[in-house]
Amino acid sequence: MTVKSLFFAFAAAFVLMSSPASAAEHYVNGIDANYPPFALVDKTGKPTGFDVDSMNWIAKKMGFTVEHRPMDWDGIIPSLLAKQIDMVCSGMSISPERKARVNFSEPYWNIRKYFLVQKGSALTKDELLKGKKKLGVQAGTNEAELLKQQAEKQGWNYELRFYESPPLAIEDLINGRIDGAAIDSAPADEAMNKGKKPIKVVGEFAEPDDFGVAVRKEDNALLEKINKGYALLKNDPYWEELKAKYINVK
Amino acid sequence: MQESILTICEAMPWILEGALITIGTVAAAMLLGLFLGVPMAIGQIYGNAATRGVIALYVWFFRGVPILVLLYLFYFGLVYQLNPLEFSLFGMQCSISLALSPFAASCIVLGLTSAAYQSQIFRGAINSLPSGQLKAARALGMRDFEAIASIILPQALRLSIPGWSNEYSILLKDSALVSVLGAMELMARTKAVATSTAEYTAFYVSAALLYFLITWIGLRGLRYAEKNFRIPGYSHL
Amino acid sequence: MNEATQQTPVLEARNIGKSLGGRPILSDLSLSVYKGEMKVLIGPSGAGKSTFLQCLNHLITPDTGELLLNGERISPANKGELRSLRERVGMIFQDFNLFDHLTAQENVSIALVKVKKMSRRDASLRAMMELERVGLSRRAGLYPAELSGGQKQRVAIARALAMDPEVILLDEPTSALDPELVGEVLAAIRELARGGMTMIMATHQMDFARALATEILFMEKGAIIERGAPASLLAPGAKTRTQAFFARLVAEESAC
Repeated sequence: MTVKSLFFAFAAAFVLMSSPASAAEHYVNGIDANYPPFALVDKTGKPTGFDVDSMNWIAKKMGFTVEHRPMDWDGIIPSLLAKQIDMVCSGMSISPERKARVNFSEPYWNIRKYFLVQKGSALTKDELLKGKKKLGVQAGTNEAELLKQQAEKQGWNYELRFYESPPLAIEDLINGRIDGAAIDSAPADEAMNKGKKPIKVVGEFAEPDDFGVAVRKEDNALLEKINKGYALLKNDPYWEELKAKYINVK
Repeated sequence: MQESILTICEAMPWILEGALITIGTVAAAMLLGLFLGVPMAIGQIYGNAATRGVIALYVWFFRGVPILVLLYLFYFGLVYQLNPLEFSLFGMQCSISLALSPFAASCIVLGLTSAAYQSQIFRGAINSLPSGQLKAARALGMRDFEAIASIILPQALRLSIPGWSNEYSILLKDSALVSVLGAMELMARTKAVATSTAEYTAFYVSAALLYFLITWIGLRGLRYAEKNFRIPGYSHL
Repeated sequence: MNEATQQTPVLEARNIGKSLGGRPILSDLSLSVYKGEMKVLIGPSGAGKSTFLQCLNHLITPDTGELLLNGERISPANKGELRSLRERVGMIFQDFNLFDHLTAQENVSIALVKVKKMSRRDASLRAMMELERVGLSRRAGLYPAELSGGQKQRVAIARALAMDPEVILLDEPTSALDPELVGEVLAAIRELARGGMTMIMATHQMDFARALATEILFMEKGAIIERGAPASLLAPGAKTRTQAFFARLVAEESAC
């Protein structure tokens, strides 16, 4: 790469542009590509997953275009606020902290929290909580926070191990590096039903969680379109098709 | 095994695109660091007290604050607090938004950080030169900036190449952090595809090989430069 | 000095003084050098010879005193005047200070290009001529690290000569050299003296000083304590400090 071409690459990055005109409404959806089955990329890097397909369907029905941009989960809300993306439809739980900064659509998915152990294991939920066991969770999630707080209050004595994504926690569970995993039902169901992983559920913890689509506080028009879109989707046979394809709900 | 290789082959174009982002980020950051680091080193050695103080503060800040924090501060903090920029010009109300891509922001932040480190590499190199070099140039009537440009820098830059190789390896590793801004570089893409295919080992091994390759090519290039610019019998080390 | 009073000195230093950290290292030094003269500074190390020489082209800024070049006072605050002083006053250093990243020829030509604004072609040609003069034209393409100490110092002499200086300051030009290399450098300096070059030289080479100096200045603790023609200062049996210093040097040399 010559110095000259690099210079131009930089110059291009600084191009000043006037505020985007609204021709055909185009939105960018930021996704955490490490959250199957809701959001992931296929082998060729193409975004896919339950949330991606849902939003594609909604966009078509509501007459806007949507582009899914994989990015780091840690930067996803700042990116939304910084207008780098317009929405987050990527398995995001509705929490009071997040609600203070962004608006959420109506919940479109209700998720439960599972305690998982190896398939042949005799461990119970009680032993996981009080038997000084190693417990895997996804870093930066609501449940990781919750389990940390509850441990002090309830006198539970597990040792938390933090993972980048639920499948990594499941891998380590199967390898025997951790005794149990505390993760969302969606990736757990996917691993058990679709991935045929030798794991089983021994209990649930916390209240079921609701997934919603996050948008900036001022983007009421978009929020309305999304809410309407989900209402239509849930009454369409495609909803069942999606559930069967990604989540294997019986 | 065969299946893993097939999967990797299918994913390769997307991952290689990410490798290009990684290489571009590192190359841009190295160059930005060079162009800022050289004047900073010169200012820190030959400048007045105020210049030296400002540069020392800059170096202290960028060496002390983690890159992840800098990325957040610069991209989400600084740039977007000022965005859109609204002002009135000849009575007209203007509003422009600075379209700074995650890639450009990453290059700038890594470049500014690297400038702090590179300035110290150059400073060390300049200080290791015998003081007689500058004295001799002055004794011939050269202006200080001429002496620095044609006598001090050519020698100091040669001596900096080993330190530069080091900085290159460090930047390459730091470049994996820029995915928080949404620049999907080699590491972020590897992670995403590994998650979706559950082929963790295979993909992380391929990422390791790619990083190794990028390191190797870069260091080869620097070694070539070192050889090419080598002066017979010359070394202060 | 009487016979030359109607002339203007090429370089004149008046009452040069310098202190470092409150300690005086040069006190009230004056010196005039006329065209074609060679002044020799001698004295023990630490006497301030090198500091004094570097004050003469303002590589070190003196605290007091003034410099006159061909009768014109140099104002040290004016950077242009300072550079022109340095351009017209050549300097040879004890440890050569050749530019390590440049060939012998480039060492000579670089200041011609940067300071005298010559074209590169003219500058290299001139550099070759000067290298020829010190007998090194066949080494023009070599780097300092590939040259012997004596050769390095001859390149440094060529570098100074190329600027057409009005006077050359030589700061112990042979003291960093192995004994067998001293001769070639002294020969080159002798050649300059024969050609009428004006010089001020600090040295421990007493035979050389005796043969070529128009005046010897003996320095100790930052002051000139004896000055005169070599014939009088070094006359056999003269009870001068210079003579005593000379005798001690000879004794040390034979003791080695």
